[in-house]
Amino acid sequence: MSPGARWSRHAPVVVSLLAGAALWELSAHFTTRAFWAPLSETLASLVASARSGVLMRQATSSLGLYLSGLTVAILVGAPFGVLLARVRALRIALENYIMMLYATPMVALIPFILSMMGFGFAPKVLVVFLFAVFPIVYNTVEGARSIRPELIEVARAFRSSEWRLWCDVMIPYTLPFAMTGIRQAIARGLVGMVAAEFFLSPSGLGQMIMMGSQNFDTPGLLAAILLIVVLGVCLMDLGRYLERRFAAWRAYEC
Amino acid sequence: MNDTTGGERPRIVMTGAGKRYDALQVFCDIDLDVGEREVLAIIGPSGCGKTTLLRCIDGLLALSAGEIRIEGERMVAPREGVAMVFQHFGLFPWKTVFQNVAYGLKLAGCPKAEISARVPKYINLVGLAGFEGYYPYQISGGMQQRCGLARALSVEPRVLLMDEPFGAVDAQTREILQFELLRIWEMRPTTMVFVTHSIDEAVLMGDRVMVLQGRPSRVHEIIAVDLPRPRDRATLAMPRFAALRERVWGALMDDARRAEFEVKR
Repeated sequence: MSPGARWSRHAPVVVSLLAGAALWELSAHFTTRAFWAPLSETLASLVASARSGVLMRQATSSLGLYLSGLTVAILVGAPFGVLLARVRALRIALENYIMMLYATPMVALIPFILSMMGFGFAPKVLVVFLFAVFPIVYNTVEGARSIRPELIEVARAFRSSEWRLWCDVMIPYTLPFAMTGIRQAIARGLVGMVAAEFFLSPSGLGQMIMMGSQNFDTPGLLAAILLIVVLGVCLMDLGRYLERRFAAWRAYEC
Repeated sequence: MNDTTGGERPRIVMTGAGKRYDALQVFCDIDLDVGEREVLAIIGPSGCGKTTLLRCIDGLLALSAGEIRIEGERMVAPREGVAMVFQHFGLFPWKTVFQNVAYGLKLAGCPKAEISARVPKYINLVGLAGFEGYYPYQISGGMQQRCGLARALSVEPRVLLMDEPFGAVDAQTREILQFELLRIWEMRPTTMVFVTHSIDEAVLMGDRVMVLQGRPSRVHEIIAVDLPRPRDRATLAMPRFAALRERVWGALMDDARRAEFEVKR
């Protein structure tokens, strides 16, 4: 690609980002500091908290919570999804519950989790898990159900055991679908993380937002939000990359 | 009519074989032996159950009446020594050509060293050398079926079951693959059951052509194909080929016409 072509392709993005930053910066001069701060002060606050080590500590705490919940969701959700697809009776029995829970805004369950499990680390992981697990289960089941019966027949014709059928056919076939679920779970888990940090014992980036709000430290508040946004964007990109990486063959299937 | 050609021992024995799905009787009363080096072509109108019969022979489906034995053993599940080639290839899209061909060997518990020796041999045999690393979606339908054939051949089966193997490829590729298969069969003749709806293909491939007809399907006629082997393109030009083609056509057509105008209830 020539430099000119590259420029004309990326120009709208660069211009749009610069315009957004300028708008943020300027708009702060026409509003009150109680709820809005310019970009420059936000970034300064971010640098200051990074220097003091607060940012690192809070971000690590948040990521620890997030990754724990997401990992458990993947480890439980994907195998459970394939199992549901393979064992028909189990699927029919549980399908409605899964749909119900998939549709439930998980925030609604937080007070219940609070009264059941209190303020520790575990209930917060449970919240992230609940946010993340259903898209994984749902997409995996749908994927595993859509498996072409011919492929199972091939496996049977070559005298595959049930175990080998899982390794050779069910899991590789379902992987791209599970990945779609995981991409959604990555986004929903982040919502779960902030919700858990708000409504259960305050910690991490959620706590930073709350403290900023309570202390009228608007730049600090915006700095934490900005960080979560950047984190979300990076994780979504990672999710999309993973999905593409494991789904090369799927585009040609349907 | 029940004798196998050449008076050799039968490898497949079907006795009173019948299949019914609830109210629908697909086929019944099929009695036939297939010899050790015989190619049996099965032909019949679509929906006559020829593919179902092939699945019963493989043990993928259970019969509802009678029995099918291969090498004396009753077929209730797929067994060693029998391999199948599928109409829709049945390749795993996430596996390369090499991995797809190796699949049957892997399941048979073949040691790794032997797999890496045997797979290239069969990939060469079907003319896919150089495409080992390709994925099914990167190669043509004809090449995909070559891969499916290599996968079946690599386990060195004594019975090869072909389920309309060239039904999903274009006409030219189909002809090429037919002659390829004849060439491969000549190198290593085994029992082959070949399901097709092409009259030419049935006559070209088969030592006998079994015509299925009626509702439920029964063996309407078994036509011995006395064309010399090896068969190749010249076979198609023989007057005897044309005569046999006409005979199969005749056996199929009265019923086919009736079936075409039959009103579905």
